[in-house]
Amino acid sequence: MFRAKKLDLGCFVNIKVIRDHTKRKVFAEHETERQALRYIIRNMSLPQRTRVQAQVQLSQMHCYTRPTQIRNRCIEGGKGRGVLRDFKMTRYNFRVNALAGLIPGVKKASW
Amino acid sequence: MNQVQCRIFSNTFNPQGLRLGNKVLRQRLKGPALASYYPRKMATFQDLQKAYPDWETFDEEQEDRIEKLKLLKARGKGAPKKKKTAEESKKFKGNKKRAAAVAAGLA
Repeated sequence: MFRAKKLDLGCFVNIKVIRDHTKRKVFAEHETERQALRYIIRNMSLPQRTRVQAQVQLSQMHCYTRPTQIRNRCIEGGKGRGVLRDFKMTRYNFRVNALAGLIPGVKKASW
Repeated sequence: MNQVQCRIFSNTFNPQGLRLGNKVLRQRLKGPALASYYPRKMATFQDLQKAYPDWETFDEEQEDRIEKLKLLKARGKGAPKKKKTAEESKKFKGNKKRAAAVAAGLA
């Protein structure tokens, strides 16, 4: 439904990565709308009716517009667990790349 | 006094401490940061070839691939021919062995 016709990814690609990438783009597109609805819901000075309407509207938005659907995945292997946030890689891929000297500023410590 | 202070520092004046949801408005938008997580596609060799068609280029990977396909075809292990009609493509659906047996029985 939201997926782009042409793939614009330069990293490892599998369906999970494509899906996550799509979710990120959809969330970025709808973020202001979501925040506006959230503001209406939290604002106790507005009439109860509008707030409930906003709640319904927010809960009926597509699940791809939710930030909680987004998960950091490994750019080297597409894995979803054990991903180091700073390097966007799983721990194993990070180790392999770091030992090969491909990550600037990272080297194995020994003392 | 409080009101003047709020006006000067452009804060919201809210002496009763009502919940106005301004905390949502204060939050920064994190969409662009999240959307740029994965590295985007860079120019490929084919783009280079398309941009400069009169240059002599050598795409090693592509040449290797074509050579491999040629070898496979010579050994009779290439990809099957594209079926033109729906009927043709339906012929061997399901069990391939049985389909072959049926064909042999008919012949």
